This record gives sequence, C-alpha cells and structure tokens, in this order.
Amino acid sequence: VAKLCVCDLLVAQCDVNCCCDPDCSAADFSLFTTCSVPIVTGDSHLCSQKAAIYSLDVEANPPERIFKLIDQINPNVFCIHAANYKQALSFISPEMPTSENFDQLLKQFGSATFSTEFDSWSINPDSQDSSDANETYRYEYGVPIQTVDAFLRLPSPVVSSWCSDANPAGFLVNQATKCSRLVSVEKCSTIQAVSMLFYVNSSILAKWHEFVFQVNITVQSIVVQSLNGIRTLLDSNEGLRLPTILDELCINIVLGVSYHITYTEAGEIIEAAASFVLGAITKEALSIQQSFEISFTQVNTKPVPLSGNPGYVVGLPVRAGFRPHGYPFPNTNKYGQLTILQSTSNQDCLAAAGARTPVLFGYNMISGCKLRITAAMECQLLTQTLLDLLKGQNFPEYVASFGNSQAQDVLDWVPITHLHISEQRIYNIFQSSCQIPVSLEIEVKWTKYGSLVNPQARIVNVTATVTTATLNQPPSGRERTIPITSSVVFTDVSSPAEPGYKARPTINVKLPFDFFFPFV
Amino acid sequence: SLVLEILNNSYQLSSVPLQILFYVNGIYYIFYFLATLAMIVYKSQVFSYPDNFLAPDLALLFIMAILEALRLYFGSKGNLTEEEAPLGFSLVITVGSVILSVYFLVWQTYVLKADVILSAILLFTYGLESVLQIIAIAAFVS
Repeated sequence: VAKLCVCDLLVAQCDVNCCCDPDCSAADFSLFTTCSVPIVTGDSHLCSQKAAIYSLDVEANPPERIFKLIDQINPNVFCIHAANYKQALSFISPEMPTSENFDQLLKQFGSATFSTEFDSWSINPDSQDSSDANETYRYEYGVPIQTVDAFLRLPSPVVSSWCSDANPAGFLVNQATKCSRLVSVEKCSTIQAVSMLFYVNSSILAKWHEFVFQVNITVQSIVVQSLNGIRTLLDSNEGLRLPTILDELCINIVLGVSYHITYTEAGEIIEAAASFVLGAITKEALSIQQSFEISFTQVNTKPVPLSGNPGYVVGLPVRAGFRPHGYPFPNTNKYGQLTILQSTSNQDCLAAAGARTPVLFGYNMISGCKLRITAAMECQLLTQTLLDLLKGQNFPEYVASFGNSQAQDVLDWVPITHLHISEQRIYNIFQSSCQIPVSLEIEVKWTKYGSLVNPQARIVNVTATVTTATLNQPPSGRERTIPITSSVVFTDVSSPAEPGYKARPTINVKLPFDFFFPFV
Repeated sequence: SLVLEILNNSYQLSSVPLQILFYVNGIYYIFYFLATLAMIVYKSQVFSYPDNFLAPDLALLFIMAILEALRLYFGSKGNLTEEEAPLGFSLVITVGSVILSVYFLVWQTYVLKADVILSAILLFTYGLESVLQIIAIAAFVS
C-alpha cells in the first residue's frame, strides 16, 4: 500500500500536489498546498487493512509531508476476517492458452462470435441422402470453383503486377486479368505456370464439395504467337504442347488462357474448355505478360450479354434489335446495337471510316464531325450520306426496356420513334430549299421501376430526332464547313413514389342465414 | 422417607448441567444455522462467490444441522435414560460437529467477523458439553 500512488502520472517527475509520488523531494513537498490523495487503503471489506496516510504539515516552515502507515480496523461486524478464495479480492490474470488447455478454454469462452466456421460450409451428414441434397451442393455466385486439389486458379496481379497464383475463379464472375511473370529460357521447362499442363491438370468438381462428379478441362483451341506478334490458330488438336528449348528459344510458353465454363440452372458445371495462346521467348527475355480470362455460359442458351438483371445497369450497352417476321430479333453483334457516330481525330465527316460507338445506358454522349461542303455537292446524295453517317448502317427499330429482356417477350421491347425537325431560316427563302440532316438526337426516357429500396431502370421511350437545315451552297470554288452532331440523352422520367396504404380493415360481420327466423 | 429422597439424590446419575447445556445448545444452534445461512446469502450477493465454492459451504451447513440434531437427540436420550451407549454415540458425533465448526471458523470461503464470533461460541459450547458428557459416561459406567 505504501507503494501505490494514484496521482503519480508523470514518470521520473514530480506530480503537483501528489504527496505519495516517490519522485518528489522534500523541496517539492514544501511547495504543495494540499494532498490530492490523502489516504491509500486496501480493500475496505477486510476487517483489518493497511492504510497509508499522507498529509501536509502547513504549520512547519517549510511545509513538509507526513507519511503514516497504519492498520485500519473495520468496525463492521460483517467485515471479512479471512478469505480462502484467492481471487475474491483482486482481479485474476486470465489463463494463458497453451496447446493443452486450448480446447477447454475454447469451449468455455468460445461462442458464436469466435466461431471460425461458416455455418453453411459444414456438411450435414444427415442430409446426404435426402432429396434436396442438390440444393446444398450447388455453386452460387462468387463461390470459388473447386477442383480436385484446391480451386481453379486465375492468376492475377496482387499488389504489384507480378502474377499471384492463389486467386480463385469465382462462379459466374467473368474476369479478365493480366499479370507479369518472371521467366528465363534456362528455367522455362521447370516453371509450372508457363506450361499448359498447369492449367488443364486438375479437374473441376461439378458440384460444390462433391468429389463424385468431375469435369475435365478440355483444350478448345491453341493459338501460337510468333516472336513478332503474329498469331496463328493451330488446326488440329495435338494435345498438350509443353515448353521446350529450341535453338536458344523457349517455345510453347503460355501467354494467355481463356476458360469457358458451361453451367446449368441448378448451379452445376458440366463443361470446361480452355483456349490457349502459346508463345516463345528469347534468351534476353526476363518476364512475360500473361493474360487470363474466364467466362460463363448457361447450357442451351446463346450467350447474349445482359445489360442488367432486370433493370439496366449504368454503363452497359442499350440492347436493341429489329423485328422481322413477327417478333424482335436482338442483335448480338456489337455494332448492330444502338450506336452513335464516334468522333474521330480526323474531323471530316466524309472521311470517317464509319466508326461507331455503342450507346451505354446512363451515359449521355455527344459526338460529331465537320462536313466540308463544296459547290459541287448534290443535295440528295449528301442527305443520304449524312443520314447513313448519323444513324449508321443498321439503325435498330426496337430497344429492350429491361436489361434482360428476352427476344420472345414482345411487350418488353420499345419501338424507336422517329421525329424530323427542320430548321427554317427565314431569310433564305429565295435559295433552293435543300434540307440536309445536321444532327441526330436520341432521347431515351427511362423510369425507375420496382421497389424503392432497389429500383430497376426501365426504358419507356426512345425518340430519335433528326434535325435538318437548309443547305447553303457556297459559291463555286469555295468551301464551307458545317458541324454535324449526334447525341444521346438519358432522361429520368420516374414518377415520384406514391405512398401505399394498407387497405382499411373491414368488419366482417355475417349474420347466420336464419337470423330473422321466423320472419324470413 | 421423602426427605431422604429429596436430600439424597446420589442415585440420580443424569447430569443436570449437561441437560441444560443441551437445551441451550439446541436453541443457540437454530440461531447459528439461520444466521450462517443468511450470511452465506449476503456473501453471495456482495462478494464474488462462484458456484463451486458456494455449493460445499451450503452442503456442509446442512450436514452440520443434521448432525447437530442427531447429536442433541442421542445425547439427551442417553443422559435422561442414564445409558452410556447413546451418550457415547453422541460424543462421537460431537467430534464431527467440532470439525465442521472449525471449518466454518477457519476454512470457509469468506470468514466474516460475525462468523468468527458465532463459531467460537459454538466451539466453546461443544467443548463444555464434551467434558460434561465424559463425566456423565464415567458416572453411568461405574
């Protein structure tokens, strides 16, 4: 007790008015006014305890500190005379976990918060034979695809650009990664990750956690890339081509792998194919860049990339199509989609190679070019050329209202409305009226659909407005440039949320049919 | 005659002080039992009294009560019927009671000052009773 001092906060320095501080000298004590801690005692429940009393004798000159160590008696008849339970009066230090007592401590103190096992990962042996065992063992989105030894690897750069082989491929997660790997010609046959065998070696488990059904990874195609970058597709499938040293080069080095996994609706993998790009390295090469890709296709479907499920996702292309023979036929070709003119560095409209860029949902775009008009241009031809330029070759007729609209749902497709606006210049009424289209504006009106918590974007209206202006033929020999623009605007026309009220409760009172007996 | 009977009670071997002591002991023990029980309840509320310490204390208290009842019954019976067998049996039980009393005096989980006082008085009573019982047995045997 004599050594306890609550007010001793500063190490090796004297705390002010702290009479119990051992760092204070008699000179310091003479400067104090009071003692902030007058008494330090042990547990007050004990019958007899030691107490250290500190006080300042202000009468003396200079003031000095008085320290007394006394036994304090607790007069209470219920004071603790003796305690045979050691931890009663002080905090016990907890047991240090060792390998012997770890299990017992875990049982005693472990609870749901300390559990390291995810509940759904533990395989319940009772449900092995039950009919809905398939439910437990299917792959779900994002779950690492399991192979016989570990999981399907998709090497990707982690912190730096070097490949890390520990990145698992997630189910239904389309990924494309690029990373660098250290190679050298001498060690090319020993480095596992540049050999085809590493990527097709293990078989994928068809169902999650079930080793019975396995899917072998088949080699779909091999493309050989020469040293100067020319790629050739190999015709026949000769099987695995392993890295070999040939004339100071190491050939058959894996430069890229593209996995295509086919899955069923039940979350099972039924097919896995890998396409390789093999290359060669010279003696000077220190590292190569490898690219990896994985994509998933549902069985018996043609892969049409969805632009949202169900509502459009900002940044994904707006799906559009035509309507031959009765119902829309969505175009899988990227440039058959809704596209607008792409501005090029060469701003000449007529020299533009017809580059178009797809319209991405939610992204307002504007592009254009400059048209040089000479005197010798024919109006009709010019109009047609400009229309083709603005609208493109395959301007679609219908746009999907949802990101996942299927071709067979006719009502899910919104027709594109075409409008023509002509700019009339009043003072040119005496010129020959040749109207050429100068701008195309596509306005896409979309609304929020569904619940307030998770609104889905739905396209309700698409209007393509072509604005025409009078062509002023310049005098012969001279040129004039007019700007041609095309733009896409997305407008949110969501109606504000309507409050929904529950139906008023009705009082359901039914009288028995013979209530008015004998009158009825 | 009647006067001789009253004056000469040398053939009454039963010890009157022992009987008085048994009677007082019985009343005192009831008080002791209730007080100790109440204090155990108080200790469990105020102090940290884990179950594996509380259970033995309570169990021993109840065992002590049973032993005390037996002891007083046999002692009283032996004294009044002037038989040494029940009195001897009571003496044996007294040894057990003494041990339990020492437990409550020294080896309990928490020994309060009140515990010390009560147990000390009880031990003193036991000591006195034991002496009187031995004297009574000696008187009965001879």
